[in-house]
Amino acid sequence: MPGIDECLLETMRLPGARGAALVDWTSGLALGTVGDPPGGDHETAAAEAAELARLAAEQQAFGPGDGTEPADPPVEDLILSNRDSYHVLRFVPTSFDSSVFLYLWLARADGNLALARIRLGEMAERLVLG
Amino acid sequence: MTVVGTTPPPRLPVRDRTAARERYAGGVSPMLTRLAEERATGVLDREHGTLHLAEGRVVHAESPLAPSLGVLLTAHGALDAETWRDVEDSAEMERLVRYGVTPGALELAQVSALYDAAYFALAPSSTPGRFRYGGAHWLASVHPVPVAGLERETLRRRALLRRLWPDPATDAAPLIRADPVAAPVVPSRQAAVLEHVDGVRRAVDIARALGRPAFHTLVHLRRLAAAGLVAAQPPPAPDPPPDTGADPYVALLKRVRDALEAL
Repeated sequence: MPGIDECLLETMRLPGARGAALVDWTSGLALGTVGDPPGGDHETAAAEAAELARLAAEQQAFGPGDGTEPADPPVEDLILSNRDSYHVLRFVPTSFDSSVFLYLWLARADGNLALARIRLGEMAERLVLG
Repeated sequence: MTVVGTTPPPRLPVRDRTAARERYAGGVSPMLTRLAEERATGVLDREHGTLHLAEGRVVHAESPLAPSLGVLLTAHGALDAETWRDVEDSAEMERLVRYGVTPGALELAQVSALYDAAYFALAPSSTPGRFRYGGAHWLASVHPVPVAGLERETLRRRALLRRLWPDPATDAAPLIRADPVAAPVVPSRQAAVLEHVDGVRRAVDIARALGRPAFHTLVHLRRLAAAGLVAAQPPPAPDPPPDTGADPYVALLKRVRDALEAL
């Protein structure tokens, strides 16, 4: 059963992983970081990713369209790409009120986005459910 | 003819704020920094909260202005209140795990509660802190945080609130709903806070009711205040001045006092 650090270290075992963090998107706090920070500084990167996650999580339009009650947050993950890397943000559902997401910075040349998405989802679940 | 010069009055002593700031190098609490350096274990009581240290690192924090770990875990049914009391009385962390709180969930909730309570515990205080050396807290092994990191985060949080909406009035006062001309759409997590604004509850009361960290509630309230949806309850109107006709100086002194307090 993993804690925050074990979860992040496991994230780094994904091919192409450059850096990872667990971030609170209400406060912008990085609860844990590992590897290289995107933009050169983990704390700044966490605060900026938190702002993006908040915008995505708070818009009902991004929720599922099947008419069911949307979860909190309604969004599962968020993927950004640029010329040489991906940024994948995976929201972590918890049994108490929280607002955290797993944040993976992935090199585009060696990374596999589909695999990373699936594994991040599994890890987010295992972090909380054990 | 002699000229009698008057010596200029001595300058009033003024605290040199820049020097004080440099001395503490942006530190929030010099005492805490010292305790970290000597790798102290024990409890630091400050005006607005308590920090538990183990070998110079902060392992737990409590504040009357922030919901406790127990509130966070029980409010949404992750644990029932009786079980939490049972665990807290026994001070055995393993029991939490036995009752179904996974180590990952416990760590998430504990680190969230720690930074939350520490934000208030490290708020500027008017009384000196007091440290009692002693044993480590029963949750000490969950997620120890270095003092320097905690202080940096606390300063970052203050700056974040200032940036969202510079008026701190909504942090502590009872809150009322304001009625803006064109009300914006409120995201669901802010709407939950807004629903609890009733003219009586303060930020901390709303945080407890929602089982949500108090700092998160402050963030939501500053955003709501910026949108013109929430305001602090104005303080009650001062009592009408009593009849002090007998001694005009009393009335004058009271007016001077009121004016000084309003500065």
